[in-house]
Amino acid sequence: MNQHLNRRSFLSFAAIGAAAVTLAACGTTSGSSGNDAAASGDFKAPAKDLSATLTYAIWDAAQKPAMQKIIAEFNKQYPNIKINIDVTPSKGAAYWTKIQTQASSNTLPDVFWMNGPRIKLYAENNQLMPLTGLVSAKAIDTANYPKALVDLYTVKGTFYGAPKDFDTSALFYNKALLKAAGVAEPTGDWTWDDVKKSGAAVSKFYEGKGIYGYGGDLTGGQTSYYNTIIEAGGTVISTDGKKSGYDSPQAIAGLQFWRDLISTGVSPTMQQLTDTLTSDMFTSSKLAMTMDGSWTVGPAFAALGADLGIVTLPKGPDNANSVIHGLANVIPANAKNPAASQAFVAFLANEESAKIQADTGTVIPAFNGTQQAWVDSVKSVDLNVFLELAKTASPYPASQNTAAWNELENTLLPQAFAGVKPVSEIAKELATQMNAALSQES
Amino acid sequence: MSRLDTASRPRTDRAVSTQPPVRRKGHSKSDGLWPWLFVVPTILGIGVFYLWPIIQTFYFGFTKWGVFGGAKFVGLENYVRMFSDPTIPQSIVNTIIYTVIVLLGIPIAVFLSSLIERPGLKFAALYRTLYFIPYITMPAAVGIVWRLIFNGDFGPINWFLSLLGIQGPYWTSTPGFALVAVAVVGLWMSLGFNLIIIGAGLREIPRELYEAAEMDGASRSRQFFSITVPLLTPSIFFVSIVSVINGFQLFDLLYVMMGKANLAMPQTQSLVYIFYNQAFLQNDKGYAAAIGILILVIIAILTAFQFRIQKRWVNYV
Amino acid sequence: MSESTLSRPRPRPRPRATTTAIKRRGGKGGPNWAAHLILGVGGLAMISPLIYQLIMSISTNAEVQSTPPTFWPSVVQWHNFADVFTSMNFGAQLGVTVSITVIRVLGQVLLCSMAGYAFARMRFRFKGPLLAIVLSIIMVPSQLFLIPQYQIIQNLGLLNTITGIVAPGIFSAFGLFLMRQFFMGLPDELEDAARLDGANPFQIFWRVMLPLAANGIWALVIITVLWSWNDLLWPLVVTSTADAAPLSVGLANLQGEHSNNYPILMAASLMAMAPILILFVLMQKKVMAGIGRSGLK
Repeated sequence: MNQHLNRRSFLSFAAIGAAAVTLAACGTTSGSSGNDAAASGDFKAPAKDLSATLTYAIWDAAQKPAMQKIIAEFNKQYPNIKINIDVTPSKGAAYWTKIQTQASSNTLPDVFWMNGPRIKLYAENNQLMPLTGLVSAKAIDTANYPKALVDLYTVKGTFYGAPKDFDTSALFYNKALLKAAGVAEPTGDWTWDDVKKSGAAVSKFYEGKGIYGYGGDLTGGQTSYYNTIIEAGGTVISTDGKKSGYDSPQAIAGLQFWRDLISTGVSPTMQQLTDTLTSDMFTSSKLAMTMDGSWTVGPAFAALGADLGIVTLPKGPDNANSVIHGLANVIPANAKNPAASQAFVAFLANEESAKIQADTGTVIPAFNGTQQAWVDSVKSVDLNVFLELAKTASPYPASQNTAAWNELENTLLPQAFAGVKPVSEIAKELATQMNAALSQES
Repeated sequence: MSRLDTASRPRTDRAVSTQPPVRRKGHSKSDGLWPWLFVVPTILGIGVFYLWPIIQTFYFGFTKWGVFGGAKFVGLENYVRMFSDPTIPQSIVNTIIYTVIVLLGIPIAVFLSSLIERPGLKFAALYRTLYFIPYITMPAAVGIVWRLIFNGDFGPINWFLSLLGIQGPYWTSTPGFALVAVAVVGLWMSLGFNLIIIGAGLREIPRELYEAAEMDGASRSRQFFSITVPLLTPSIFFVSIVSVINGFQLFDLLYVMMGKANLAMPQTQSLVYIFYNQAFLQNDKGYAAAIGILILVIIAILTAFQFRIQKRWVNYV
Repeated sequence: MSESTLSRPRPRPRPRATTTAIKRRGGKGGPNWAAHLILGVGGLAMISPLIYQLIMSISTNAEVQSTPPTFWPSVVQWHNFADVFTSMNFGAQLGVTVSITVIRVLGQVLLCSMAGYAFARMRFRFKGPLLAIVLSIIMVPSQLFLIPQYQIIQNLGLLNTITGIVAPGIFSAFGLFLMRQFFMGLPDELEDAARLDGANPFQIFWRVMLPLAANGIWALVIITVLWSWNDLLWPLVVTSTADAAPLSVGLANLQGEHSNNYPILMAASLMAMAPILILFVLMQKKVMAGIGRSGLK
């Protein structure tokens, strides 16, 4: 481009820019901030011939068959409500990108999956319809679900999400590997020290063969350090969601547990854990014991068969509890057809749907007492362990903008686990930055 | 891309013409309304779908945006934050290193092209296809394969290095090495495209230039550097522009190959990755917009720079 | 592509290298076997990740996820390719991909050749500034446009439609620039002759310049097809049902929450790549010729 062109074009561009800024100012309040007076009067079951077309957004392709079965059952009651399932994977936040884009332009699906990290974001920004109407009409009874889940989806005293399923974590182990190494199998009374001792023995026995004693998925907290922080008596975030719990000595102890495992060779290194999924290592018999979530039961059993053993979590300095997380079905505040959406959500939350989910063996349904089918899916191990853990579990740590400090965890904690910096230093740094992020929330 | 300077426009292989082309004499400065008929649909579409979003982004860089709408004017706050954020300059460095490594694909493509385009080479079409296939694969799927290839414990690359007695690093989780690994994949994917463009340019070089040089006694390498490379400069310019543009858009490869909670992420992530992170994961669209404008400015400077110096080294025939 | 004497007036006919001529001369510089060795080894290296992908697609999921991964499946699982059809809406999505690619290509060819010609050959006010703006847009990463474009499409009520997917894509700053460069490389004389004959600008464009633009259009077509086939982020956000989505989205949706069926993912990815590959193999000569004479130089 010659000089002349550049000067002229810059001036015209600047002129256009100035004009546009004024225009843009008019157009910025696109994207609704939701409807405060969301329809939350008492729910009355709509007429059976109600006609509607709903979109149901989910993110797990593996659960689509189960959802379709539920829809088929639902259609027996409401034959004229047509429901389309829209699957968008949650990998790379594709699902959330889409939901957020849809929220910004008021085109949210009629019913969609919600998770713990995001519930406050959507609820406090008035994007969701409270389900209090369903509760008061007894279409949904919150006593049917683990309390921690109900609490997770109750924001500022209002109930927004009908619990769908839950996960807790337990101790998985490989009987064959342990036996060959001459190490006793874990029991329900194990403590952290037992893990360290036995893990060290296994790693020593298999030294050089690429087999380790104990490891966890440190690329996220749900099946690893969230649990150990709780077991040390700490919290990740305060109950009101305003202050980070990472700088407490208990939380530091919870993190130190993993660093010690890595530094003593009991666990694969942080880099190995980034290269290969812990669950893949376990199913390939490269890891004798692991702390993992209930969704791994299926693949682990498929790979190890009778060699698979599961016990409850080892006891930390304070307790042996797990974090509980589960999905919920939510309705947008500006649902096109609130009656139909509510009827569907009520159905999704009932016992029949829970049983359908349990039968597929992919998830543990949240409805109390329906999990037997899931427990029975693998008879050689006692899957009741997960259900027991749900009773005393802590709700998944979340705040309004959970993603912001999740990102901080993912940036800072690997340095602690890899030994780049001391755990206490990283923990305090994380707490500082996390508090800064939390103070930004409204 | 061809001459931007309309004054001298040689277009045949005759001697370069220095006369200005004969312009339509006696016509008015403008061609009336006709040009608008041709131009309006595209310009309108580009204006609506591309220009308007950029202007919006420019505006939002000065706001704090609610997640679901509603913006609050905060002046330069986002820009101040951006300039004091150490990950930003690091990511620019990362992107530059990535782009440089991917640009290495150009000399490789020139060399390979010169082999493939040898007259009478058998299987030339097959070779071209083989080198082109990586360009049309889907990053999501192929990235998984590459992640396994670079696996620190049992990947083929480290296995090969071990044969040479070198202990290979954990490629995708070691700072520095991760960037190289990702760049190698980027290079691998773009090589085919470069090869096609440069190969096409090679085929246009008149054979008799080589014949004349040979008769003059010029060696093969002399021919290569004095005939082939100079006449290829327009194609090289084109692929380098495209490579730089694509280099700055490094994004999905990072997601697939690095995953999250990766020790090496700060030394590998690109600006676009940070933008996406801030806009969609952190829900901080105002800050993301500021980053977006930064990306825009950097690319504008780079491309302007490339276009300015192209006169020095690109020969148009 | 035949060489019309109009497109490239030459001082004298230029013989293209013919195989017989070269064989007589004995090959330029260096034995061909060395070239074959380098190209062959290089080609194998280039292709090896895809061979690995092929192996993964005929293995079982457990074999793929084992550490270290198995080199060759114990039983070849050809059924994975058939399973693709039950795991995703392959047929419908292939149709969507083809549709959006064709529409985008046609749209861009028409609009960009018209606009490119005007920018190259016509005079009008603001030509310079408009061109500068267009240039600056080429360089902007697509993620920046995502939400604004979504809102526009949503306001037009075009979500989850093919029209909605293609709408932003048929207006291409890059395409405009490409065509402009090409048209600037064509000789003036033909237009002047046509103008003297009394043709209006549109007739000049339609009858004289466009036929000459074949090569430039080729380059545009190729680049657009390649981009559109694997385009992921925008269609992902704009579509919400499986049968309205293109292949790239369908493939991405194969990834489960906690587990992946890698063999099916790999098989699907190979199947999605196949049409383009076949096209390339068949049209290679034309592709090379088209790009070469497209005025990219």
